[in-house]
Amino acid sequence: MFRSLRTDNPELVRVSVNGHAVEIASGQSVWSALALSGQTTTRKAALSGEDRSAYCAMGVCFECMVEIDGIPNQQACLRRVADGMTIATQTITETSVAK
Amino acid sequence: MSAALTLSEHGRSALVLDRGVAPGGQIFRSVSTSPLPDRTALGPDYAAGAELVSAYTNSRAKHVAGADVWHIGEDGRILYSHEGTTKQVEAREILICPGAIERPMPIRGWTLPGVMTAGAAQVMLKSDAMVAENAVFAGSGPLLYLIVAQYLRLGVKVAGLVDTTPAENYLKAAPLLPAALGGFGLLRKGLALLSEIRRAGVPVYRNATDLAILGDQRAEGLVFTSDGRQEIKADTVFLHHGVLPNPNMTRALGLAHHWNEDQLAWHVTKDAFGQSSLPHVSVAGDGGGIVGADGARHEGTLAAMNVLTRLGHFASDQRDRLAKPRLAQLRRLARFRRFIDRLYQPRPALRLPQDSETVVCRCEEQRLSDLRQGFEEGARDPNALKSRTRCGMGPCQGRQCGPIVSGLLAKWQDLPVQDVGYYRLRSPQKLLSLEEFSQFQTVVPDEGGTK
Repeated sequence: MFRSLRTDNPELVRVSVNGHAVEIASGQSVWSALALSGQTTTRKAALSGEDRSAYCAMGVCFECMVEIDGIPNQQACLRRVADGMTIATQTITETSVAK
Repeated sequence: MSAALTLSEHGRSALVLDRGVAPGGQIFRSVSTSPLPDRTALGPDYAAGAELVSAYTNSRAKHVAGADVWHIGEDGRILYSHEGTTKQVEAREILICPGAIERPMPIRGWTLPGVMTAGAAQVMLKSDAMVAENAVFAGSGPLLYLIVAQYLRLGVKVAGLVDTTPAENYLKAAPLLPAALGGFGLLRKGLALLSEIRRAGVPVYRNATDLAILGDQRAEGLVFTSDGRQEIKADTVFLHHGVLPNPNMTRALGLAHHWNEDQLAWHVTKDAFGQSSLPHVSVAGDGGGIVGADGARHEGTLAAMNVLTRLGHFASDQRDRLAKPRLAQLRRLARFRRFIDRLYQPRPALRLPQDSETVVCRCEEQRLSDLRQGFEEGARDPNALKSRTRCGMGPCQGRQCGPIVSGLLAKWQDLPVQDVGYYRLRSPQKLLSLEEFSQFQTVVPDEGGTK
């Protein structure tokens, strides 16, 4: 389980993660919004469709690609949250594209 | 940062394109804006980074945060994404600092959600003050022990430390110890971390082998052998067994590389000042070969001295005189590094997958059995195997599978890795939308060096 160690009172922004409203400290990574709200599946694997989640958290592995405001292939670990942002698990796979 | 500071001291400016949101790279990430209640829990080395960042921030260097460089041309043309648009800049002299990435540990289940790297734990802690409670840490090397100690200082529970350092490494590394004693301070720091972990009562398993992640849909723990078969339940497993130079930028530019057997890694071929096979391109820090944070600072300074000479700012004998103490420091650090490399040299069975069903290419989901089939069908080098299997063709562009593929092909043919080679990489080095590419803007660096 992920948790935050913050004890300051950071300014909060409101984002939506897979349709759930989540309040998160301004300036934090999009990945932290997913992890702290317990929705850790970032994308479906391209062939098998299996769940994947952030692995390196530093922009190298591309496992944390999510859809942000409807745009796919956004690396959740490199992007910062913004008020009103819509974040969703990326569900594009080879089969879904072929359809 | 060190290179930009040196240039600044000599009245020259530099344009610094940083993918991060604030100066500091991975080691000093968020040091000046730490969200932690007490950043001293991360240790004195981290806190000391604040001084460097502050000096850098006050220098003549122009820092561009969030600049994701995805193309560097031999002609000095650099393309990068910044705030949703593509920007272009031309440079006479280029210093590339791509840093390190973690060495992949392709064990069964390493693609399951809940499996992350120790570096990821560090990033999440530094950037977002976010931790995983009751996680398992598995692997070997200083970074692994450091993050466990940091978690404990912050009151975060750790389910176990599974140390994969082979018992025989202690003997193999022993002859290098006297030469490494110049780095005694570093050595003492490492030993202090381990005793701190033991004192905290975290179960430590030594000489661990045969690691596999438990779980079908998500990570549920780790199984391994250490004095018999062991199992630890956990929803998060952090893996780490050393770091490698991040190769994509230097490879895509076509710089010469060579295989370094001590570090079991590809290094950029460069001179003492970091000058690569292209004279106007230098490389400093872990991205050229693993030198650590201290080494990177010296290398940055040396590269800047060389650039100043190339720009006619001072003569080469003056450069050499100024460089002497830095070069001596680097040699001292290198002796210590050789000891660490030998001591924490990863187990071959953890560097290369053992189980035919283990995924090698995380993006294209190619398993060991798929690669073996591609090899048997005639693919003899990484590029041929890539064309045949799609291994390395996904969005990460081989950053994870590349070292494994070179290693497997070398093993199967009983050839040195140097002869097998690596993927041929090309720009762009990130996923790019056509919309972003269409919003093109040319940036002219401010020669006067004002902010």
